[in-house]
Amino acid sequence: MENLLASTIDTNSQPPLNGATAATAPVLQLTNIEKVYQTATIETVALNRVNLTINRGEFVSIMGPSGCGKSTLLSLMGLLDEPTSGTIEVDGRPVQSYSDKELAGLRNLKIGFVFQSYHLINDLSVLDNVELPLLYRPKLSGRERRQRAVAALDKVGLSARTGHFPSQLSGGQRQRVAIARALVGGPEIILADEPTGNLDSVMGEEIMDLLLGLNKTEGVTIVMVTHDIQQAMKTGRVVRFFDGSQVG
Amino acid sequence: MLRHLFTLIWNRKRSNLLLISEIFFSFVVLFGVGAVVITTAKNYLAPHGFNYEQVWRLQVRAGQGLTMPRAELDDVLRQVKALPGVQTVALTSGNTPFIFNNNNSFFGYKDKQSPLTNVYDADDHYATAMQLQLREGRWFAPADDGSNHRPVVISQDLRESLFGNEPALGKIFTYSKPDKVTKPEDEFVVMGVVEKVRMESDFSAPISSLWKRLIPFDTTHWETANVLVRVAPGSGGLLQEKIARTVASVTRQWTTEVRVMNDERINRRRYTLVPVVGLAIIGLFLIINVALGLFGVLWYNISQRRAEIGLRRAMGATGASIGRQFLGEMMVVTTFGVLLGGLLAAQFPLLHAFDQPAQPYLLAIAAATGAVYLITALCAWQPSRLAAAIHPAVALREE
Repeated sequence: MENLLASTIDTNSQPPLNGATAATAPVLQLTNIEKVYQTATIETVALNRVNLTINRGEFVSIMGPSGCGKSTLLSLMGLLDEPTSGTIEVDGRPVQSYSDKELAGLRNLKIGFVFQSYHLINDLSVLDNVELPLLYRPKLSGRERRQRAVAALDKVGLSARTGHFPSQLSGGQRQRVAIARALVGGPEIILADEPTGNLDSVMGEEIMDLLLGLNKTEGVTIVMVTHDIQQAMKTGRVVRFFDGSQVG
Repeated sequence: MLRHLFTLIWNRKRSNLLLISEIFFSFVVLFGVGAVVITTAKNYLAPHGFNYEQVWRLQVRAGQGLTMPRAELDDVLRQVKALPGVQTVALTSGNTPFIFNNNNSFFGYKDKQSPLTNVYDADDHYATAMQLQLREGRWFAPADDGSNHRPVVISQDLRESLFGNEPALGKIFTYSKPDKVTKPEDEFVVMGVVEKVRMESDFSAPISSLWKRLIPFDTTHWETANVLVRVAPGSGGLLQEKIARTVASVTRQWTTEVRVMNDERINRRRYTLVPVVGLAIIGLFLIINVALGLFGVLWYNISQRRAEIGLRRAMGATGASIGRQFLGEMMVVTTFGVLLGGLLAAQFPLLHAFDQPAQPYLLAIAAATGAVYLITALCAWQPSRLAAAIHPAVALREE
């Protein structure tokens, strides 16, 4: 199973352009990032001059009070939003000039998302949910998609639940499905927005162990937003935010 | 992706049932209207089988409770024919083309029975006055005076139903009666066959027709005589006045009325068009309602699925591919509705419903399919564009 996942990553990743070795190269670099939400009357600074480097294989926690800009930062890292100013580099390549199509391709190949509220499609089976990112890779055959989805579910211990629907699963199982969906495309980085936020402590621990295991055994880079200091302390680095600014 | 869309729609079949029903009913309405319109248009484009231009209908009435002797009537016909500008005069029955008056019956030959057939009385000059197109044999002539059976000329479609590929000329047939007992005057001998005719209206299909010869020395007294007058091009009110005066010169008791057949055709066309236009308007309103419904449902669907849109964008979908997905989903839902409607509509050509050939039904199925896909695509276009424009970060945050 590990081999399958590894081969997926190898197939889809691109070599770093700056010539750095894969182990130490920054997979994601944010330089002087500002994000300002502007309405007719109010200007809200969500992020203020943020500089952050995520290296390959790191597990980084982002902490801070509500409204400090954590989720905005994650959206920017996930190329779902554009900064007001500053640059974002993925594998050493600035992405601000990328078209919608190029950004979508980059998200599909390099980034996996895990959300607090799982974001599973209730009308699709577990297997179909996990297959979702692969649907946007037209070169993959249906059979290959299915094989990869089963392998990803196997990795999170849910290969016996492929035909179930999200409503038939517990919260922890749903989050495992979401993690399998994030893994299925063999991304270089997983962005997890409070992945244990909706779970009780036992299930939260299970999910945390799963993410730690993926980071250690598979070398998957993970950036996780969390409010839980204990979980954050288990990760390699903690980045703290307050009022849109990086404070530690 | 198509398989994914089918899976998604199938798994959401309950919530899509309303949409599928709407599309099914739209298809059925469009098919019905389409079948009527196509049949009507097809009929309109077909030849009438006679020439109504420059033909007038002269109606001579003897008066309430009075009859006109045949000899006097023949005198009137002779005098009218002698008028400058009059080319032919023909005596016929009251069911002249394009008026709301018909006379029909069933006929039988051996074990074959005709469809309901229009029956006209016609004298020896009728074919010339109407410019009927003779296919076989000849029109009535004085030589038929001695015939033992009633000479008739039949239309091609009546010939096909009674005689098939066998020769028709000289064949004797009768009214279709269960007891098979016929009077000698009800035995008809085929003298000729003319092309199919459409004498009801511009939009009616050809109807089997039969012309019985009016015998010149018949002594029957007439209350009303219907005369077809073929006139020279350019003839107008002056000639109509002359005809009226000519009739009056024979006897002042008789009244006359001259109608232009082309005017009667246009009048009849209006009557025929009214229900067709009415049906089309009702269909149009239904379709507009359905379109607005579809538009609303899709709009609502998109607002309910913002999180899914955000998720798909995060997973690698472009804005354009989100738009295409929603459009594609609508097309899949439409396919379910069209398949159900098509299943129903297919029964019409298979069963030859309303005695119509299969072709108009098949054309109507094709037209309804195209129209339904076009309507749903138009209705889905704007909501799909809206879906494509949803900002993924905003959509995901809302959840």
